[in-house]
Formats: sequence, C-alpha cells, structure tokens
Amino acid sequence: MATSGNMSMRKRGERIAAYVFTCPAIALLIAFLMVPMVYTVYYSVFQYQVMRPDDIVFIGLENYKKLFADPDFWKALKNTFYFTVLVVPFQLVLALALAMLVSKKFKGVAVFRTMYFSPQLTSMVVIAVLWTVLYNSNPNTGLINSMLVGLGLEPINFLTNTKTAMNAIIFMSAWQGAGYQMMIFLAGLQGIPRDQYEAASVDGANSLQQFVSITLPNLKGTIKYVIMITMIQAMKLFTQPYVMTQGGPQNATKTMVYYIYTQGFQKGNFGYACSVAAVFFVIVVAMSLILQKLTAED
Amino acid sequence: MKKKIISMLLASSMILTLAACGGGSGSGTSDSSSGDQDAASGDAAAITLWQPTDKESVENWWVEKLDEWNSEHPDIQVTREAIDRSDSYAYENKVATAVTSNDLPDILFVDGPQVSYYAANGITIPITQYFEDTSDFTESTINQCTYDGDLYAISATESSVAFYYNKDMLRENGVDVDDLDSRTLDNPITWSEMRDIAEKCTTDSYVGTHIVMDHGEGLPYALEPMYISEGKDYISDDGSKADSYVNSKESVKTTAFLADLIANGYANVDPITDEFLNKACATEIGGSWEIATLEQSADFDWGVTYYPVSDDTKKAVSPCGDWSAAITKDCQNPDAAAEFLQWLMATDNVASYAAAIAKPAARASAYDDEAMAEYKEGARALIVEQLQNTAAPRPRTPSYSTFSTDYAEAMTNIFAEAASNGTVDESYIQEQMDGVASGFEEDYETYYAN
Repeated sequence: MATSGNMSMRKRGERIAAYVFTCPAIALLIAFLMVPMVYTVYYSVFQYQVMRPDDIVFIGLENYKKLFADPDFWKALKNTFYFTVLVVPFQLVLALALAMLVSKKFKGVAVFRTMYFSPQLTSMVVIAVLWTVLYNSNPNTGLINSMLVGLGLEPINFLTNTKTAMNAIIFMSAWQGAGYQMMIFLAGLQGIPRDQYEAASVDGANSLQQFVSITLPNLKGTIKYVIMITMIQAMKLFTQPYVMTQGGPQNATKTMVYYIYTQGFQKGNFGYACSVAAVFFVIVVAMSLILQKLTAED
Repeated sequence: MKKKIISMLLASSMILTLAACGGGSGSGTSDSSSGDQDAASGDAAAITLWQPTDKESVENWWVEKLDEWNSEHPDIQVTREAIDRSDSYAYENKVATAVTSNDLPDILFVDGPQVSYYAANGITIPITQYFEDTSDFTESTINQCTYDGDLYAISATESSVAFYYNKDMLRENGVDVDDLDSRTLDNPITWSEMRDIAEKCTTDSYVGTHIVMDHGEGLPYALEPMYISEGKDYISDDGSKADSYVNSKESVKTTAFLADLIANGYANVDPITDEFLNKACATEIGGSWEIATLEQSADFDWGVTYYPVSDDTKKAVSPCGDWSAAITKDCQNPDAAAEFLQWLMATDNVASYAAAIAKPAARASAYDDEAMAEYKEGARALIVEQLQNTAAPRPRTPSYSTFSTDYAEAMTNIFAEAASNGTVDESYIQEQMDGVASGFEEDYETYYAN
C-alpha cells in the first residue's frame, strides 16, 4: 500500500513539475501568438489608420469585401503559391542530394557539411544583400552577369525583369535553406540500419535500386516533416523581396507577408492589413491540414 | 520532494530570465551624458529623443552636445536613441509601432514631408508658441514644417540635389566640361543636355548617369523638381488631390524622359551603392551630402552644377527638406522639450551640426559661423544658392506616406519595364501613375477628407 501511495505521490509530483515547466512556453505562446491572433481578427472589421489608434471605426466586413476585389491581394497570393510550389521540391531534392553526398565517409566530409550548412548561420538580410550584388544587371558590378558576358552571353536583368525576379529569389532561397534540411536528412539517413543495404548488395541491388527501395521508404517520415516545415516557411516569404526587390518589378515578387507589411506599416491601413493577415492565416492552416491529410499513413 | 523544489526553482529562474530579457528599451543605440543617470532618478525632467542613425561625425556631435546640455541643465536630462533606417522605411515603421503602443519619445525627428502626416494624425503637437520668430530659417524649411497654419517641427539643416559629373570621364567622351562648370542658376543644363551627356558617356565600363537614389523616399524626393519644372507637381497645393497632377500628361512626359535613360542603358535600373564615387557612372542626380564624401574619397576630378530643367519651361526647381525635430503627443513635459529644442536650434549649434552632418544649415545666421566657412564658395555655395532661390518643399499632405510608397513602387515598375523591353511604353506609365493617383485619393478620402 505504502509503495503504491508513494508511486501516485511521485506521479502527481512529476505532473505538477511538467505543468510548471511548460508554463513559460504556454505563457509566451498566449502572449505572442494567441493574443495577437485574436486582435488581428478583431481589428480586421475596423477602419484603423495606424497613426490614429484612438479613432477606429467599425465597418463590418468591408475590409474583406475590398480584399477579395483587390488585384494586388490576388497577385500576392499567386506569387506566394508560385514560390512555395517551386521552392519546396527544389530545396527538398537539393537537400537530399547534399545529405546523400555528405553521409558518405571520406576525408574532409566535415568541412563539406559545415560549408553546406553555413548559409543557415548567416542572417537572411546579409545573404539577400550579397545576392543582390551577385545578381546585379550590370556586368561590371554583378558577378553572375560578368560570368555570362565572359562566356559570350547577354547579361540578364535577374531582379528587374518580371520573368526572372521570382525565380532568382527561389534559387537563392533554396541555396540558403537547403543546408538546414540537409542536416535533418542526414540524421534520417544515419538512422537507416546498415544491414538493409548489406542485404540488398548481397541480392545484387545497384545504388539506384537501393535508394528507391531502402533509402526513400525509410526517409518517408523525414521527407514529410521537411515538406511541412519548408512549405510553412515558404508561405511566410518576406525578407528576400523586402531587401532585394521591394516586391517589384511590377509586383512580380510581392508576397502575402510583404503585402501585409506595406499595407499595415508603410501605408498605415492597419485594419485592412489585419483582414489580409486573417485570410492568409486561414489559407496556411488549410494548406497544412490538406498536406497532412495527403501524406498521412494509411 | 527535493526534485520538486529544484523544478520549482528552475522554472522560477526561467521566468525571471524572460522578464529580464523583456526589460530592454528597443533597438538602436543610446547616447546620454555622464550625469543623466543620477539626475534621471531625481526630479529632473527626462526627455527622450529619436533620430535615425547617422555617420560617425554626427553620432560624435550628439554625444558631445548632449554631454554639454545635460551637465548644464540638471533639471532637464536628454537621452537620444539612434535608430537604423536601413535605406528604406525602417525608422518610420518603428514610429508607427510606437504610436500603437503609446510609446513615442518626447522628441521625434521627422523627415520633411512626413511632418504633415504626423501633424494631421495628432502624433506631433504644434510648436508655434516656442518658435515665434522664424525669419532666420529658410522659407522652404518653414513651409515644409508648417501644417494647417501651425509650425509642427523645426529643422537645423536643409538638403538639396544637384547634377554631379566626373570630369575625367566627360573629357574622355568629348563633353565640354568648361561649359558645365560655367553654368549659372539662370542658365542651368536642360533635360536634353543631360540626356546627351549621358548618351555620350555610356561606355562598356560605366553608364552615363544615375537617377535612382534608392527604392524608397529617395525617388519622390530627388525627382520631384523635374515634375514641377515640366509644369505639374505630384499633388495639388492644398495637399488634397493627386488626380490630374501625378497622372497628368506633363507627369507622364517627365516620367517617360527618366524611363528613357534606363531603357537606353544610359542609367542603371539597379545601381550599386555609391555608384558615382565608385566610377560606375559618369554623372548623377545626387544629394548635397555627396560633396563631403567626394571631397574625402574621390580619386577623380569632379564637378557639380544646378539641377537640370525642362526644355519646355526652363523653370529652375530644386529639392529641399531635411529631418526636423518635433514634439510628440506622448511628451509629458512639452515646455522642457521645447527648451531643449530652442537650445538645439541656436545659431552656433545649427552651424556645428550642419558641419558635422555635411548639410547646408537651415538658418541664415549660421553661415556667419566659423564652422560654415566652407559654404562661402565652390560646390557648397552652389547648393546654398539653389536652396535660397529654387527650393520647392515636397507635398504637404497627410496622405504623403501612401503617396511616397505608391510612387516609389510605380517608378520601380516603370524603370524595370523600360530596362527589360529597351523601350518606353507611355501607356504603361499612364497606368502606373493612375494607380498612384487613385491610391492617394482613396487614402485621403478615407482618413482626412472630413
């Protein structure tokens, strides 16, 4: 009896400790996520100029009506989807390829791992500034165009042409982000039992067959996780267009978060920005749920 | 039990750590005097001041001057916070955030055209009673800082934009440099002359000119005189109307002239920083602050002449306006803040500040000061002459923020389109300018019309 009493006392103590430990996280979550979310929805039904916090007017669903008729909103949504749809698979394949490369044991592999991961350690703003110079349309200043001209090709206006601006951002974003996903894949690869590969080798399976039949199925969970986080990250794209293109040219790189920022802060239409944010939140949650459903285990 | 106590202690320490982390005073760096710490704890009025971060000489000027003020005025202790502007609207964003949280400083430095925006929204308070005699200040400064008949801000310095040229490059390409050097305010270069020079000086190694100051306020600021010179400003004089101004045929023509320079490759659509100094362009539409940089760092022969005028009107106009100090609605002690501002705007302080920031002083008397001796002749005298005779303040309208953002975006689009296609599409310019006009009208009608 005394032992079971001690056990339940101990369990209760552990439960209390667990609550106490999670308290700071929950408090922060409520303060910095839940409360702002509730406020966002609340302000979305008001006409609210950011400089006039004491002079807000209830306008019902007017902001939402305006939003659905706003071509800039649809353009920003389209750009965000375009970025996400391209960057997720590109980054995934790049990260997996890099992980496969650096999972091999050879001299200096740690150096390569560090090199591939290093863009992750640098601020996105710094990287964006650096790539703005690399992409510069003038061959005398832009390294990439200077190489193109050196090869006898025409220089490309990477960031000032509507056809290339978003693709240029996609490429540099995948380059920057792949290192992190590579590390996740690396952890996944190292968790695959070696004996499966040995057995396959004995049975005469080549490298491609081993990759398709052993590596990919074993990485299924990791791939799902990487897709999910990359997608959510991609939907929140802001820094690159803010630093590199200011949403241009001709709104080609204006994303949803950038649109929310310009409306809310630069133009001061806080109520309208809140309505865009609320709709965007619903879209991101819906996409996450759909993705979860699609990739769910049977 | 022991485990429970340890858990509780750890959790408490985490909460305390977080609380401590939240106790900071935002981003930026603070300047204050050695004595203000003690004084702030007593009955002294604590005045806070926000200003965008500036170059080292200005930062040092503030440290020295605040030391001087704080030691002489133990009853009014001033602390300055320098906030990074990031070549865009980062400073304004911080101000917007502070407005929503009622966390504004006592004194706020405001860019010239934003004075009306902040004043119309009640963010800043009138300071007319503290500055009754403003006759010594340049007319353009006072105009820019006045809204609805009241003075809302006061500036120590002015700014302007002029046409800089690399004499070595111009000579290489057969441009008559002596002619440019001899121009006067009655005979400034015209747009077509500017275009000819740019065309002649576009080579494989550098472009002919530079017209994109930045992708934010620099665009409306540096380019507005072209529009006025052609006959139509961005916005009506009363600040209420943009339709048939920014989208007028004169405006489209002006914009087309600028886009043509990009379309022909005479100017870069995405110029590098300090393009002129780095010899990547032969001429530039550049700010008055460039003079000090060029004197210090240029390893080539350079000159500067007056802002180019329209071929049609020959009307000389030049940009002006600078960051001005205003007192905010959250200031608990406006009299103390104003006393500090009066001291800050005294002739000797204006002169030394203008010298440190390498901008023309906004007070006429400051030019008699030793610190302003450099403005008696040469490039700086040309800037002062331009300011005194042709300066036009930016539109005084509460919807300026919306206008500035939309105009900068439209110009970026127009320039990008011109660069991509190699030609100028006037119908596209019209479409973009119509968008700027309607964005302005919507903002004005929604928030300020009544």
